[in-house]
Amino acid sequence: MLETGVVLSLAGIPLYWHMPTTRTASSLPDSATLWEVIWHHREIVSGFAHSHPGRGLPGPSFEDVTSFAAIEDALGRRLEWPILSVNAMVCCRFAGPHRLDYRRTVVTHEPAWTHELRLRSYPHFEEVLL
Amino acid sequence: MNMPIQIHEARVNITWQGQNGDLPDPVSFDATDGDVLQWVTEAVRAGDVPGIHADRRAVFRDFVVDRYPANDARPFNLIQVRPKTPFGG
Repeated sequence: MLETGVVLSLAGIPLYWHMPTTRTASSLPDSATLWEVIWHHREIVSGFAHSHPGRGLPGPSFEDVTSFAAIEDALGRRLEWPILSVNAMVCCRFAGPHRLDYRRTVVTHEPAWTHELRLRSYPHFEEVLL
Repeated sequence: MNMPIQIHEARVNITWQGQNGDLPDPVSFDATDGDVLQWVTEAVRAGDVPGIHADRRAVFRDFVVDRYPANDARPFNLIQVRPKTPFGG
């Protein structure tokens, strides 16, 4: 498994697949390119989704929420932060009142792009579906 | 208007709250990340960055400092202050 990300538009369309060569099974490294993509699309970006290893409901790490907050500080607006596991999806949104207070909501009707995100994240995902 | 930038200096570009601007004065290209973030924080809080409204609550705690040497297209060193973007872990 390799963590993978995708920048999403307000229409729910993937704008950029984030697959740096230094990604691992448990991390996406800091990337100036990812920030440049988000900034370039700042008028139409709705959020950034990424995959986590394993099954079950994923939760954001401290690294995740501090990146959520920093990117929102730079953009000047809130985004949505979906996280996927092999078989589940949640969406994190700022809930306040504190800077790192993000609430996780379970998503039961997954958007179409989630299939491709899993294909790009889990090498044997098609076999898992069988 | 920005000051002339010497070979050992850099322009500092900042993105904050959907706005982008440069520090009015160049800084040493090898200034520490901590110093750069401190100067940027003070400048944004004071409203000293053209293009960025004063924000007394500005905090660059989870921002990183990228350094780009001068090249043919940009004949001066550039320091960019941007949000960190790692995930997972």
